[in-house]
Amino acid sequence: MNETYFEQLEETLYHEQLPNGLNVYILPKKGFSKTYVTFTTKYGSIDREFIPLGKDKTVIVPDGIAHFLEHKMFEKEEGDVFQKFSEKGASANAFTSFTRTAYLFSSTDYILDNTKTLLDFVQQPYFTEQTVEKEKGIIAQEITMYDDQPDWRLYFGAIENMYKEHPVKIDIAGTVESINKITAEHLYECYNTFYHPSNMVLFVVGAVDPKEMMAFIKEDQASKTFEAPQEITRFFPDEQNDVDIKERKLQMDVQKPKVIYGIKSNNVNISGEEMLNYELAMQVAIELVFGRTSAFYQDVYDKGLVDESYSADYSMENGYGFSMIGSDTSNAEELTQTIRQSILNHASEWEFTVEDLKRITRKKIGYFLRALNSIEYIANQFTRYSFNDMNLFDVVPALENLSMEQVKDAFETLRNENAHTVFTIVPFEKNKNE
Amino acid sequence: MFQQFELAHGVKLYVRPTEQFKTINISFKWKQQLTLEQAAIRSVLANVLQYNNAEYPTNAAFRKRLDDLYGAVLYFDTAKKGNHHIFSLNAETVNDAYLSNEKVVEEVFSLLHTVIFKPNMVDGKFVDSIVKREKEQVIERIQSMYDDKTRYAQQRLLENILPNHAASITANGTVAAVQGVTNEQLVDMHETLLKKDELSIYVVGDVNMQEIKDKMEKYFQFTARTAELKKEVEAPTTTNDKDFLHEIQDMKQGKLHMAYRTPITFFSKEFPIMQLTNGILGGFSHSKIFINVREKESMAYYASSSYSSLYGLIFVLAGIDSNLQEKAVKLIDEQLKAMQAGDITDLEINQTKSMLKNQLKEALDSSRAQIEIYDQYKEIDESFTVENWVSRWSSVTKEQIQQMASTIEKEFVYFLSGKDGADNE
Repeated sequence: MNETYFEQLEETLYHEQLPNGLNVYILPKKGFSKTYVTFTTKYGSIDREFIPLGKDKTVIVPDGIAHFLEHKMFEKEEGDVFQKFSEKGASANAFTSFTRTAYLFSSTDYILDNTKTLLDFVQQPYFTEQTVEKEKGIIAQEITMYDDQPDWRLYFGAIENMYKEHPVKIDIAGTVESINKITAEHLYECYNTFYHPSNMVLFVVGAVDPKEMMAFIKEDQASKTFEAPQEITRFFPDEQNDVDIKERKLQMDVQKPKVIYGIKSNNVNISGEEMLNYELAMQVAIELVFGRTSAFYQDVYDKGLVDESYSADYSMENGYGFSMIGSDTSNAEELTQTIRQSILNHASEWEFTVEDLKRITRKKIGYFLRALNSIEYIANQFTRYSFNDMNLFDVVPALENLSMEQVKDAFETLRNENAHTVFTIVPFEKNKNE
Repeated sequence: MFQQFELAHGVKLYVRPTEQFKTINISFKWKQQLTLEQAAIRSVLANVLQYNNAEYPTNAAFRKRLDDLYGAVLYFDTAKKGNHHIFSLNAETVNDAYLSNEKVVEEVFSLLHTVIFKPNMVDGKFVDSIVKREKEQVIERIQSMYDDKTRYAQQRLLENILPNHAASITANGTVAAVQGVTNEQLVDMHETLLKKDELSIYVVGDVNMQEIKDKMEKYFQFTARTAELKKEVEAPTTTNDKDFLHEIQDMKQGKLHMAYRTPITFFSKEFPIMQLTNGILGGFSHSKIFINVREKESMAYYASSSYSSLYGLIFVLAGIDSNLQEKAVKLIDEQLKAMQAGDITDLEINQTKSMLKNQLKEALDSSRAQIEIYDQYKEIDESFTVENWVSRWSSVTKEQIQQMASTIEKEFVYFLSGKDGADNE
């Protein structure tokens, strides 16, 4: 078991890769009552085209299948796994993102028992045509729930504008139509390909004894048989640099228009240290130009173009990335013009000082230290970083070493207007029925 | 769980020294009786004080100062709890121990002093243009509720069952009430906070008790206040002649919101039993409503109940196909009837006890939750601890739960859906 002490943060991280390929991380936190355990596979909604384990032909599976699989993992021949967790006072949950599916629980007692339940239910699939059919009604309600959420539609609308081919443009849960095509056979095919321990990370954080826990996990994994680890072949279409659609509107029952100004990133085929530095540089650049202390923000706030819903950020995974600046606004046209102008001005003339940079990095360091109070944040983010060959605990030193040149270079990549898009949700015209 | 000191009559300091967190959390809570007009004034005041102050005349200057202090968080907020409106000022700062040679904590206390005692005033008034714009911001926040169908449906339910009652007044007030707020009212309200409202101050983190007391004396000299707050909410006297309302909007899903009444409230001695009763009915993913509405019938993605104990109300929420409202109501009614008839298993009771216990213990892992839970439970027990509360559940029997279930009566069904559902009526 490897032990790494992060002096500045006063945290010790334990790590071991087991013979079956599973990476196990344990982070004890003093003073905490609960333990939070996540078991995550590097498999999300974007993994729709791949060669199934043991086969030689590429398949394309129905949209929404990773999320469907997540739901179905909880049902077993003997019943619902939630029941078992409840008996031991554990709250269990799961989520599917573009790139990950995570299963998790938190509890203050019976940590080993609950860990065993988690490992077992994720490593023992049970799908039948009947249970698959039954789930379709539940997921259809989940999809319609999101359909009624304007902010979710806004976010996805902006991504759909940006991407022509890449599956990040497909809604994580799929559509009512696409999930109706899913069969038990599909689920087994995806499960067998992506749920091998070598494609997964187990992260334990909280009130935990690292030695006891590691021994427990090792014994459990040694008692189960897995095939030898194999490289997973996934396919992603070539994606152009320019956005697919420059501008689009959707009508919904909202009080006032909502807009996102999106900028598609072209530096996305990176990982490890390069990704860590680029991502931080981009986030700092966006904060400098569009954060709440920026001249831009003061201007649009004073003009009444933004309200408390305003946000500006950059996010990426290997293969895609985007900056988004958005708000509910009474004048989407003027707001997006101002954003566009601000990008062009700053890309040609960078006016920020080293003091400005210091201030933003201090803010981000403070944010990071606050986030480390949350064991959920640690487990989920650590896993995300590790799937991209980065270490979450490198964030503070990377921020401290970030140079103005890196930040400026990152911002300049936003200059290409062909990579800009605007998506707006507008209220219905009120003269129809009233 | 907190050590407490009376700083002046009506002003209490609660401190919890712990090494658990890398930050220090501070919270000021000013409480008064909840009324619509006062709620509107207080929510605008929160925004105005947040925007700037005498030392940092622009919002950007103020925020830059916070960024410099390692992104210290400092914000005003409003909330309601039962009969009370709570105007709060919250701060979270990185503990100096994690920074090399910095004195951030002292600076944050100084800044808290500034935002409370040195607002940006000209000739004894706030700046009119700021007041005007912040009123707009609060109005837009209230209006944005319309875009969130779950929040909107819940508010419509409350307005229908308890109009003009604490249960349906929101912490922000209404659009009309906010429009009516004047500069003078804001100035008066600021005075009320400084001199009249009951005040509780919370500090959680790796702190030294004496140092915190010294800082309190150095930065905040709050004077004694005499306002006596009534804790219990008056039971509503009005009864509804209607018990169902279906409203239509342009949307896909059906939002079912049901309200039940019970005489058992947070202040009743049976409160812990009612917590268990609600837990078995619909509080968790092993509960009757979740199992029957979601798992057995595949009718919903979410289906749960919650106990609003200060008002003696239980709500059941489910997102369903807009054509299935009647079927869902029937199914939910059956779950409560089953409990009233004694159909409660030992497994359900044990699962619910474990989950409630876990929920409360887990809350101790967030400093904000420590403050919120204690702030509520101290109303019935100043020496509240999680362990003591957990022990109140352990001996509860099936018969007691059945008896609690029989006090629950259905009050109102509110359904919000798209046009499909309407065609079937």
